[in-house]
Amino acid sequence: MVEFRIKRFDGSRSYWQSFEVPLKKGMTVLEGLLYIKENLDSTLAFRYSCRMAVCGSCAMKINGRPRLACETQIAALKSDKITIEPLDNFIVIKDLVTEFEGFFKKHERVKPYLIRDDISYESPVELIQTPEELKAYYDFTLCLKCGACYSVCPAAATRDILGPAAITAAYRFCMDSRDRGEDKRVDVILSDDGAWRCHFAAECSEVCPKNINPAKAVQKMRVKAAIKGIKRIFRW
Amino acid sequence: MEEKSAKNVLEPVAWLLQMISGAILAVLITVHFYVTHMVSHEAIHYNAVIERLHSTGYKAMYAALLFFVAFHAFNGLRAIILDTNFGARNRGAVNALTMLLFVVAFVYGLYLLVIV
Amino acid sequence: MGVSGWFRGVSPYGLAFSLHRITGIILLIYLCMHLTYLTSLTDKTGKTYETLISITVTPTFLPFDILLVLCGLYHGLNGLRLIVHEFGFAYEQRKAILAASVIITIAAWLYVSYVMYKIVVGG
Repeated sequence: MVEFRIKRFDGSRSYWQSFEVPLKKGMTVLEGLLYIKENLDSTLAFRYSCRMAVCGSCAMKINGRPRLACETQIAALKSDKITIEPLDNFIVIKDLVTEFEGFFKKHERVKPYLIRDDISYESPVELIQTPEELKAYYDFTLCLKCGACYSVCPAAATRDILGPAAITAAYRFCMDSRDRGEDKRVDVILSDDGAWRCHFAAECSEVCPKNINPAKAVQKMRVKAAIKGIKRIFRW
Repeated sequence: MEEKSAKNVLEPVAWLLQMISGAILAVLITVHFYVTHMVSHEAIHYNAVIERLHSTGYKAMYAALLFFVAFHAFNGLRAIILDTNFGARNRGAVNALTMLLFVVAFVYGLYLLVIV
Repeated sequence: MGVSGWFRGVSPYGLAFSLHRITGIILLIYLCMHLTYLTSLTDKTGKTYETLISITVTPTFLPFDILLVLCGLYHGLNGLRLIVHEFGFAYEQRKAILAASVIITIAAWLYVSYVMYKIVVGG
């Protein structure tokens, strides 16, 4: 048996509640939560979907670090007590469910789609890309938008910021050889809550479940945006 | 929603200057500390200090050190405050106040350099 | 969670950031103190300045000076590391660079502390 100590929130007050979960070999934290919901307390609220670490829904703080519940084996935590909390730096709606609207809106701000002015649906042309060109941005396409990076960013603890995930998405598109929209994204990165709030604590890269290294993308994107921003001054 | 870039045009400059001033300070502070604390006990006494302050070379070095350290320190403070929601809401005032503190520190130090 | 959220980092890079911010604030406060201290130079007889020196450049204050030197060395050397990475270089070598900057900080600190000790106490 393993103790699941979960931080609950019912809309007005926060409190801790413990559940005893029978441990089976290979059991994940998500399976433990589902056991609680199905057998012990059906009011426990948490997000999940794919159960195979591709959707990013089940990110939560497990024994002090943000992880995907579906791919975290209980036995691998090497503890009889599993402490589960909602992600930091997000507003909690209920129990382990946090507000994500703001997080997704930040992605929208960086225009996470190919921008070209020669797209014709009547006579489409294939956009050729070599394997080397793909390699330049491929890692950054793997983002699940799980929010783990945002939850450990020190700047996000005290202020609403664009965040590592959104800036990584901007970098992914700017490095895509098929994209022509870097100028349109630079304004967002240059804004007050953008790249300047990063001080390379690099905690984001430590917790990314896909090992994307958002810290790297933010530094590279910051330099790109800074160069464009400074060039703009001289054109005035 | 269009992003307003005009007001943010100084941020990349401030970031670049923070990096550059940091690198310069790594050298100047080492020199300053070496001269005052690592050579002899006499270097810290009044006469030795005044002698340095009257030499053109040292005066220039101290002026440069003062400029870069005052900028780096108060720009750093600006970045820390802007990391907060308070800073986000009062960006203009935070920028103005911290840069004013930089000017005050620099001018005051220059004043000491000149009159001593 | 407020400002405590700045210092929650548990990875080496997160800890390095926390220390960089703390030492930065300490050095900012010290800068203001140092400029105020130098006001004593306006007394052209040198008496005010020498009085301050006789109080602060002593074995009693030496531990504070040594800690201040550690703050300065750490902030400077870690800052050089940050300059390298923030310009987009050497991300893959970040572990080695962090280790090097910490080792150099400690080595330089031990040497400088020894020299200061000899000058203030050893005479």
